[in-house]
Amino acid sequence: MAEAGDEWELCKENVQPLRQGRAMSTLQEVLSQQESSNHNVIQQQKQTFELELRFYSGDDPLDVWDRYIKWAEQAFPQGGKESNLSPLLERAVKIFHQEKQYYDDLRYLNICLKFANCCTEPVDLYSYLHSQGIGILHAPLYIAWAEEYEARGNFKKADSIFQDGIQRKAQPVDKLEASHKQFQARVSRQVLQNLADGDTVEEPESSEPQRSSLVDLKARGKNKVRAPISRVGDAIKRPSQNFSAPMAPPQQIPSRSRFTVFDENAGVLVHESQPTLSSQPWAALPQSRAKENEQKAGPWNSGRSSRSTHQASNHDATPSFPSFTPYVDELAEQHTVTPCKINPAVTSVLSARKPSKEEDPLQRLQNSSQAKEEKVMYCKNKVYAGMEEFSIEEIRAEIYMAKVRKKREEDLIASALRRQEMEKQIQELEKRLKGSCSENPEQITMEATPTEESNKILGTVENEPQWEQDGVSSGCAPSDKDDVEPVLCTTSALQLPNIDVLSLDQNKPKPTNLSLTLSSEMPFTIFDETCETQPSVASQSRVPPSARRPLASVSKAFVHEDVPLAVTLDGIEPLNEEAIVSGSDRNKTLFAEPEDTCDFVRAAQLASTPFHKCDSPDMERLPLREKTPVYEESFQQVVCSKKLSPILEASREDTPSSASSISAGSTSLFTSKTLLIQEKFDPSGQMSGVYEQASDCYVDLEELHRNLLLPKNELLTSEHIHWEAGQMPPFEDQEEIHFGGETYQLRSKVSIGESSNLLIATLSDLEMESITGVVLKMDSQPVPWDFYITQQLTERLGEDFDSYFLKQNDNYIFQDGCVTIYKDVSRFTIQDLLEDQKTLTEEIIILFTYNLLSLLEKLHSVEMIYGGLRMETLVLDNKIFDLSSCTELNGCIKPTDFYHSMDMRLCPTLTSRAFPIAQTEYGQQVLAGQNSPYQVDLLGIANVVHLMIFNECLQVLHEDSAWKIRKEIPRLWRRELWGSFFTKILNTDSKSSAHVLKELKDEMEQLLDSSFQEGLCLYFLQLEASHSLL
Amino acid sequence: MAGQLTREGITLKGSAEIVSEFFFFGINSILYQRGIYPPETFTRAQKYGLTLLVSTDPDLKNYLNTVVEQLKDWLYKCQVQKLVVVITSIDSNEILERWQFDIECDKTVKDDSVVREKSPKVIQEEIRSVIRQITATVTFLPLLEEACAFDLLIYTDKDLQVPEKWEESGPQFVSNSEEVRLRSFTTTIHKVNSMVAYKKIDS
Repeated sequence: MAEAGDEWELCKENVQPLRQGRAMSTLQEVLSQQESSNHNVIQQQKQTFELELRFYSGDDPLDVWDRYIKWAEQAFPQGGKESNLSPLLERAVKIFHQEKQYYDDLRYLNICLKFANCCTEPVDLYSYLHSQGIGILHAPLYIAWAEEYEARGNFKKADSIFQDGIQRKAQPVDKLEASHKQFQARVSRQVLQNLADGDTVEEPESSEPQRSSLVDLKARGKNKVRAPISRVGDAIKRPSQNFSAPMAPPQQIPSRSRFTVFDENAGVLVHESQPTLSSQPWAALPQSRAKENEQKAGPWNSGRSSRSTHQASNHDATPSFPSFTPYVDELAEQHTVTPCKINPAVTSVLSARKPSKEEDPLQRLQNSSQAKEEKVMYCKNKVYAGMEEFSIEEIRAEIYMAKVRKKREEDLIASALRRQEMEKQIQELEKRLKGSCSENPEQITMEATPTEESNKILGTVENEPQWEQDGVSSGCAPSDKDDVEPVLCTTSALQLPNIDVLSLDQNKPKPTNLSLTLSSEMPFTIFDETCETQPSVASQSRVPPSARRPLASVSKAFVHEDVPLAVTLDGIEPLNEEAIVSGSDRNKTLFAEPEDTCDFVRAAQLASTPFHKCDSPDMERLPLREKTPVYEESFQQVVCSKKLSPILEASREDTPSSASSISAGSTSLFTSKTLLIQEKFDPSGQMSGVYEQASDCYVDLEELHRNLLLPKNELLTSEHIHWEAGQMPPFEDQEEIHFGGETYQLRSKVSIGESSNLLIATLSDLEMESITGVVLKMDSQPVPWDFYITQQLTERLGEDFDSYFLKQNDNYIFQDGCVTIYKDVSRFTIQDLLEDQKTLTEEIIILFTYNLLSLLEKLHSVEMIYGGLRMETLVLDNKIFDLSSCTELNGCIKPTDFYHSMDMRLCPTLTSRAFPIAQTEYGQQVLAGQNSPYQVDLLGIANVVHLMIFNECLQVLHEDSAWKIRKEIPRLWRRELWGSFFTKILNTDSKSSAHVLKELKDEMEQLLDSSFQEGLCLYFLQLEASHSLL
Repeated sequence: MAGQLTREGITLKGSAEIVSEFFFFGINSILYQRGIYPPETFTRAQKYGLTLLVSTDPDLKNYLNTVVEQLKDWLYKCQVQKLVVVITSIDSNEILERWQFDIECDKTVKDDSVVREKSPKVIQEEIRSVIRQITATVTFLPLLEEACAFDLLIYTDKDLQVPEKWEESGPQFVSNSEEVRLRSFTTTIHKVNSMVAYKKIDS
C-alpha cells in the first residue's frame, strides 16, 4: 500500500494539524526524510535560521523570527521537543515584548497567540498582552481570548472580551463580530440543551457543585474538544472573587463549602469586569507554565563551593531577578519586603541594596536591563541569541564568511561594472575611429602605454604572490571557486612580459569575442586593461575622464614615482594598482588563445630572460609621441629598419639602449593596428589618410600581409601550420634540403620579391628523371600569407579549388620566416619549357593562355587578385603528361606563389598601383588611366603570353586610341586570334575583368578540339621523354 | 451492490452503482471531516469495512440522494467527467477548498452485456483507501474557521440537457491554491481520481 508520496497518510497520526494548514511539499519532504532518519536538510535550514538570527542587520528582526517559527511549524509536523517550537515562541515573545514598534504588528501578535497555545495558562498571557497594548487592535487576540474563556465555561467573561474587542474596533471587526455571534449561538444552544435535558432551572449557584466523573467529552469551544471542566461552579463564582483583582491566579481551589455565601457584589460584576480588564499593569511576561518551583539545571559540584566562599554566599543572598511574575495581592504590604541583611561581621565591603529599589518587583523587572552592571567581554548576545548555543568560534567563522561573501559579491559587481564600462569604451573607440583619421596619432599614443607600463611594473608583480588577495585587485575576482591559489596567480603574473605584442594586438580588434572566450574559459574574470587604460591616457590629451574609473587614471607623475618604488619595495608595497591592473590584462592576452602554441613557445623563451626595466620610460614615450603624428616617416622607418618582428625586439630589450628600436617597432605596430581597426569597422571602403598613403606608394607587402593577418587568429591555429621555435634553416646554398623529415634535391630557385624564394626540388629518393617535383615557398617573414590565400580559396571555391590550385601540404613557421610546401606537382615551370625549347608551339601557348584565363577568372570571381603572374612560378600540373586520358584541359598550370596576391575582401581599397607590374614600363603605360586592381592580372596574362610567344617582355604602343603590342605575330600563327586577344586584354575600357576573361577564354576554348589535343599530347610526350633522357 | 453477485465481474450498471455509492459516502465524509455540518447531526454507518459518518439532516440527505441518483444515471450513460465539492465561506463567499473527483468513463462499454473481470473486494479495498485518505487530510488542510457551505458541481458532456433543479456554473477554483492528489480507484469501467485543493498558507 505504501507508495512514494503517501508518507503524509501513513504518518497522519504524527502530524499536528495547523490552523493555517500545511504545505504538502514540505510535509512530504520532512516525513520522507524522517523515515530515512536523514535530518541533514532540516538541520541545515535550522542552522541557517540560527545564523540569521545572530547576524541579521536589517531593521525588522521580527521577520527572521517569524519565518523561523513558521518554518519550525512546517518542518516538525509532529511538534514535540525536537521542534523546539515552544521555547522558540517563548524566546521570540520575550525578545520583542519591549519593542513598542511591534505592538501593533500582527505577526508579533500571532507569535504571542501561538505561544499562548503552548502555555498552561493562556489567559494570563492574553491579559498581559491586553494590558501592554500588544495587538489590542487586532481581532485575533479577542477571539483567542474569548475562546479560552469559553472553553473554561466562563461565558460571561468570554462575552465581555468580545464586547471589549468590538468596542475597540479591533480589525477585522466583521470577523470579530461574526465569531461573537457564533459564540452567542453556541451558548444559547447549550443553554437550550441544558433546559431540554431537564436540568434544574434554578440558578446554578444555588445548587451544590458536584464534580461529575466519567462524563462524556463535550465540545465546549468551537475548535477545542476538552474534558469538561468540573469546576463549573468556580468559574461562575470567579467573577465574584475577582472584583478587586481580576487577574486572579487561575489555580482556584474548588469550593468545597457546603453553603453558599451571599455575594452582595454579584449583580454589579458584569459591568465592572470590563474596565478592570486593564486595571493592573503587567510588567513582565507571564510564564508559559507554572515554573516557580522549577530549579534550573546547574553543575552539581558548584553548590558546595559556592557556600564555602563569602562572595558566593553574598551572591546568593542578593535576590536574583525572578523570571516570573509573582502574583501580588493588592492589599499586601508592599514594604514588608526587606533585603536580606548581610552580616557586617562577615563582610563590610558590600552594602545592602536599598529597599526602595525593590519596592516593586515588577518594576524592577522592567528596569532590569538598565540596572545591569556586568560588562560581558564576549559577544554574549550572539552566543545565546537563537535557540541553540553557538560557540564563539562559530560566530567568528560566520563573521569571516560574511566578509568573504561580501567581498566576493562586491568583486563580482565590480567586474561586471568594469566589463560594461569596457564595452562602452570599445564602442566609443569604434565611433572615434570611424569619425576621422586625424585622431589616429592620439590613439597610437594610447596604445603605446600598456607595453611600457607592463615593463615597468614587472618587478612588482614578480614579488607579489599575494596580489590577488588585495581588495583592489578584483581584476581576477574568483567567480565560483573559493580561492584562486596565489601560486597560480603568480605564475601567470610572471608570464606578463612574455606576452608578445602580436597576440595582444590580434585580440584588439575584436574585444567582444575576447571577453566571451574569457568568461567561458577562465576560472576568474579578467580585467581588460587595454580598454581601460586607453581612455585614461587619452584623457590626458583630450577626453575628460569619466567618474568611475579609479584604476585607470595613471598620471605621468605617478608613473615616474612608481618605477623606482616598485623596484625597491618589491613585496613591501603590495598595493600597486597598476601592477594588478596590467597584470590581469597580461593574463588575459596570454590566455586568450591558449591553443596558440606560438604564444607559449615565445613565452617560454622569454620567461627565462631577465627583464630590465627601462630607466627612462619617458625617453621611450617621447619619441613615440613626437613621431606618431608624422606618420609617413615612422612608417618608412619601420620599413627600412631590420625586418624583425616587434615581438623579438621587445623580448631582447634588455638594455635601455634599445629604446629607440622599440619605439620604432611599436610605432609601426600601432599604426598598423589602427589601420586594421579601420578596416574592420569601416569595410565600406572609405579610405583613411593613413591607408591611402600606404597603398599609393609601393607597398611593403610583408608589412601589409602581417597587418592583414593580425586579426586572423584562427588561421594560426590551423592543423596545417607547424610552429617551429628556431630560425629558418638556410636552404639557399645547398644542393640538398633536409626538411620536415624529407630530403629534397634542389632543382631551381626563383627569387620573388626581396625576401621570398621559391625552391623547386625533387624528392631525392626518387629517380632523377622523375618529373614529379616539390615546391618550397620560403618567406623571410613569419607570416603565413600564402597559407591564408590558399585557405581562403579553398573556402570560397569549394570543389573547383582542386582543379585550379595546388593543395598545400604543410606550413612551417619559424621565428624569422615561413616555409610552404607543395607536393604532387611536376617540376617544370613555364619558364623551364621556354628555356628548353626556346619557342613553344602555338598549341601549347593556346593551352597555357586558356588555362591562365580560366585560372584568373576563378580567382577574380572570388575577389582575389593574383598580382604577380610570372612564368617562373607557374608550375605544370602532373596530369599534363597524361593528357590522353584526361579530357579536361583546365588546371594544367598551377600557381605556387601568392606573395603578391591580394584578398580584396580583406583589403578592398587597394589600387592597381600596389602591384609590381605597375612599376614596369608597360604597366605604367597601360594602367595609367585605370585603377581597378583586377587590371593587374589581365596585364599579367598579356605579359606572360607575350613572353611565351616572343620570349620578350610585353611592349605596348598606343595607336588609334587603343593599346597594341609592338611585335608582330609570326606569320604562320593565328594572327587574328592573337591580335584580338591582345587588343581585348589591353583595352578593357570599363568592362569588368571577369567579363573580359570569360570572353577570351571562350574564344580560346573553341580551338581546343580533339585534333588540337592530340598535338598537345605529342608535345608533352616528347617533353617527358627528353627529360627522362637528361 | 455488485459485490453481491456470485459471479466475480463488473457490469456497467454495477459500476455506476459502486461509483455513485462511493460519492455518497465520500461527500458525507468530507462534510463531516471539514465540519460543514455540526458533528452531532451525523450518525455512524459501516461501509467498506470502515465506520463512516452519514448525515442525519433530512434536507441534506434528500439533497444528496437526488444528486447521487442523477449521478448514477449519468455514470451509466458515461456522461460524467468530474464531480467537485466546493467549500465556500458563508460570510465572505470565498472558496476555501475544492475536492475534485475526475471520472474517466470507458465509453466502449455500452450496456450490461460486457462484464469486466475485477473482484468487488479489490474495488472495495481501493475505495477504502480513498476514504481513509479523505479522513487523513486533516493533517494538512487548514482549519476552516468560519461557517462554511458546500456546493456540488458535476462536469458532464457538453451535449447534455441541464436537468431540473440543476444549473450551470463556473469551475469555482480556489485562488492561490495548493493541490494534493489523493488515491484513485477504478472499476475498470469508471475510474475516479481524487484531488483536493486548498488555500496556500501565506508565508
